Amino acid sequence: MSQAPIARTVSTENKAGNSENRFIKNFINQTGYYIALGLTVAFVLFPIFWIAITAFKQSIDVQSASLFFTPTLQNFRTIFSHPFNFAPLIYNSMVVGVLTVLIAIPLAVMCAYAISRYTFIGQDFLLIAILATQFLPPVVVILPYFIQFRNLGLLDSYTGLVIVNLSRVLPFTIWLLKGFIDTLPTEIEEAAYIDGCNELGVLRHVTFPLIMPGIATSTIFAFIMAWNEFLFALILSSTKTKTVIIGLVSVVGEQGVVWELMSAAGLIVMVPMIILAFSIRKYFVEGMTMGAVK
Amino acid sequence: MQKTYFRYVLLVPALLILAATTIYPIAFAFVLSFREWKIAKSPTPGPFIGFENYQRAFSDANFWNALKVTSMYTVMGVGLAVGLGLAIALLLQKPTRASRIVKPLLIFPFAVSLALKGYSFRFMLVPEFGVLDRILDTLFPFVAELNWLAHPFWALFWMSVPEVWGWAPLIALMFLGALGSISPEIFEAAKVDGATNFELFWHITLPLLRPIIVIVTLLKSIFSLRMFDLVRTMTAGGPGRATETLNYYIYTVGFNFFDMGYASSLAVILAVLLSLFALLYSRVLLGGEK
Repeated sequence: MSQAPIARTVSTENKAGNSENRFIKNFINQTGYYIALGLTVAFVLFPIFWIAITAFKQSIDVQSASLFFTPTLQNFRTIFSHPFNFAPLIYNSMVVGVLTVLIAIPLAVMCAYAISRYTFIGQDFLLIAILATQFLPPVVVILPYFIQFRNLGLLDSYTGLVIVNLSRVLPFTIWLLKGFIDTLPTEIEEAAYIDGCNELGVLRHVTFPLIMPGIATSTIFAFIMAWNEFLFALILSSTKTKTVIIGLVSVVGEQGVVWELMSAAGLIVMVPMIILAFSIRKYFVEGMTMGAVK
Repeated sequence: MQKTYFRYVLLVPALLILAATTIYPIAFAFVLSFREWKIAKSPTPGPFIGFENYQRAFSDANFWNALKVTSMYTVMGVGLAVGLGLAIALLLQKPTRASRIVKPLLIFPFAVSLALKGYSFRFMLVPEFGVLDRILDTLFPFVAELNWLAHPFWALFWMSVPEVWGWAPLIALMFLGALGSISPEIFEAAKVDGATNFELFWHITLPLLRPIIVIVTLLKSIFSLRMFDLVRTMTAGGPGRATETLNYYIYTVGFNFFDMGYASSLAVILAVLLSLFALLYSRVLLGGEK
């Protein structure tokens, strides 16, 4: 291509040498490319792979860090029985995640639609304020939550956990959905108004179906956030509403960690979230940056 | 559009819940930061003591240490994540079949909970049988004696690695999105003019990526500045206080020493620090629309 004019100027002898050189150079480039690609894949997948295989190891195979071993399901049996009892913890995480989503998503859709389609006083300030609450360090709000929930009897309750999760999920999903609604052309909505549709009707029958991908994306993001949430659950949940992440903490304990049990619990914690994240891979980057990068 | 009150009907429920779940606790923490309250001694808040908690913070060596650790951690994490993300993006930029297969894998690490990331890397760094420790000992025999998480600098470094593992691939995806919009003819033309690969990168690729580098640096800084999960699951702030971030320090003051007043004042300082970053980020977000 671009080498063509240069190649034409060199003598025939050099040409033969050049093509051989180029072949070797290409080969090295190709090999280097695939080695780098292999390293990238290893970097991305190795920790997941290692936890996944450790989950099926016996203690002796963990101690030798071996790749070849006889797999066992004993670790899963252990974490699903006393004292770890993972089944109710999975249920707790599901309840908290689902309730958070059920409250956050409809409210976020309404709020995002209002911000995107209407103008009102203090709109920019409101947007910035919502963003600021999203970036608030959890440790700042955990002290007041702990104190108030103790007074209200909300420690170790689903209500308490849903409330704290809303404080993280709601601002995030408002911004995310606003991004989706902003990209919709307003012409369709205007046509519906001309056809005599009222405001609620436009939102329900025109906008809502069009932002389904956005709603699905924010639902999954919200669920992953609630599922993976650590500090709030660590302090506000104990016996009755302990989530899987806190189950992971109990499995690890304070000293003498049984790593194969940690890995089994870890596999249960991460696999559903990886699948969920994979299902929205098209919108993942946009979601993570709240629409700053499309 | 007509002037109706419908917009407020849409706005108010979400804003009420936001106010109750975020504004109220912040206000509560703010008020508490001016009071004395050791919750183990008394179930109700003590008297107002003015700025005493704040004065205490600024003369507290542990606070300054936590601030230093947090800054070092943030700079290290952001630098590594953006650098590595850029490298991965440049590698996957060529649209080969292999790169199309690799791209979707890049979101996997981010979906893994931070707490689990922390435990996993702690496990892989255990001196006798941790797999990363073994690999490193084989590659660099002189580190064989090193217990990574017991060394002040390396503990902080390794604490940033799980976060970098989650972010770098995601940052690569963001870069790839932007790189996809450069037409190949620009590179061809520059090559014909005799530009080196480095010049291509410096004059074409990098300027194009600059807005995303700004966004990612801000976003990643915000996440690093409030790091708690990895400290709790990897090092518990140790060795000594070498990995005690501001977030973790506040947690220990509040929930190990039950000093709610002092913890609140530290929390307010952290919130102010973070809101500066949030403000910058929102300017980038809002600025992009206009």
